[in-house]
Amino acid sequence: MSAAPQEPDPRVAALEAELAAVRRREAEFRAKMVHEFLDRGERNTYLHVLREERAALIKRQQESFADLEELTRKLEAEGSRAAALEAELAGVRASWAWRLSAPLRALGRALARRAPPPPPAPAGVAGGVFTYYLHTSPFRIYRGGRFTLRGWAWPQDGRAVTAVRACVDGRAFDGRHGIEEPEVIARYGPQPANPRPGFEITFETPPGRHLLSLEARAEGGPWLRIMATTIWCEPERT
Amino acid sequence: MSADAQARWQAAASSLGERSAYKRVWDLQARDPDVASLSVAGHTDEATLELTARGFIDTLRSLVGVGPDDVVLEIGCGIARVGRPLSAECLHWFGADISAGMLGHAAARLRDRPNTTLVELATVGLQEFPRDAFDLVYCTVVFMHLFEWDRYRYVEESFRVLRPGGRCYFDNFTLDSAHGWNVFMEGARYPLERRPAHLSMSSSREELGVYLRKAGFADVRVVDLPNELIAATGRKPD
Repeated sequence: MSAAPQEPDPRVAALEAELAAVRRREAEFRAKMVHEFLDRGERNTYLHVLREERAALIKRQQESFADLEELTRKLEAEGSRAAALEAELAGVRASWAWRLSAPLRALGRALARRAPPPPPAPAGVAGGVFTYYLHTSPFRIYRGGRFTLRGWAWPQDGRAVTAVRACVDGRAFDGRHGIEEPEVIARYGPQPANPRPGFEITFETPPGRHLLSLEARAEGGPWLRIMATTIWCEPERT
Repeated sequence: MSADAQARWQAAASSLGERSAYKRVWDLQARDPDVASLSVAGHTDEATLELTARGFIDTLRSLVGVGPDDVVLEIGCGIARVGRPLSAECLHWFGADISAGMLGHAAARLRDRPNTTLVELATVGLQEFPRDAFDLVYCTVVFMHLFEWDRYRYVEESFRVLRPGGRCYFDNFTLDSAHGWNVFMEGARYPLERRPAHLSMSSSREELGVYLRKAGFADVRVVDLPNELIAATGRKPD
């Protein structure tokens, strides 16, 4: 004859629950202790100083790239303006009236003071609206036969990027996309359609002046221009 | 696993002479997410990563136990293959790795796991962590990439950071398994001057057992696992 199962002693159950709670608090305390130890160690290390310096340098680099981009835009605008004015001037000088009429010369000077026309839109695909950044700035003098553009981008309409390419005077160079950019995701938050927004594209840079167009294809859509700029390539220094 | 990733992995290899330069060797492996995954796990797809991690957690649970109140440290966590699922089963998971690049990939995979912390190790050892802090310290598929002295360094450091009563787990492959011999022969086939720094090297049962006993662990056991690895476990005496 077996003994009837005994009811658990409520005092024992209460003590066991209390013990479990104490163990939990003690473990939480240890986890907190590790974090405090890490924080203290981190603040006191040379590594921390280097990380702060690195963050400052990255910020400065980004500001420099932005400045360089603005300067390139200004240069392009001025180049377009100069071309338009030279064309106008040539036309005026070729006319008989130029030789005969001082008032027309005055008119030519007045035309030269007019606001410059906007720079012509780059030929090729339509422009899209992207959030992007280029780790290797394209705003530079290119030396050497090839260049690799690295960066990240996503369309602001939330679609996924399915391909990237660079076009140099219309010649396309396919790139690789889907590269991890953990710091970007940490800064901008999760990008469900583009969880790995990084890309890299290598293109050829023959000597001369060219139009570079960085383009992406979003799912179900045509190629869209992320950005475009004039580039100047020079022979590699020997 | 793509042939492309394999080729990039090979291209990222450093020479065996640099094996001790763990930070440099593994940061090089971590530059590309697929190469990072390949080099620490042998595959690149998320489903396989999850599957193998689950298998390891089952092993860990059966050999040393995993509890909801455990504060856990993984040495050489890489891309947090194990940490991601294990964090759901413990109070707090700490992942330590010598490669900041690997930790960058880990951070991206742990974004939705608030009870996780990643720590970059300055060098071999666990000097970033306080003593008597963890309930469980483990290190899986890492020892094959370390020299013997560094393996022991991690074992004795684990003893320091474990709380009294805390458990440890270390594994490696052996020469007397089919898998182990294949790995050995793959290494043997490299030309002398092209042996990569991350080349896998085996442990013996005796070696792992000696490390744990010399470090002060009690209840030391070395067991053969179904996946042809051997695992050494121990407990820090109360």
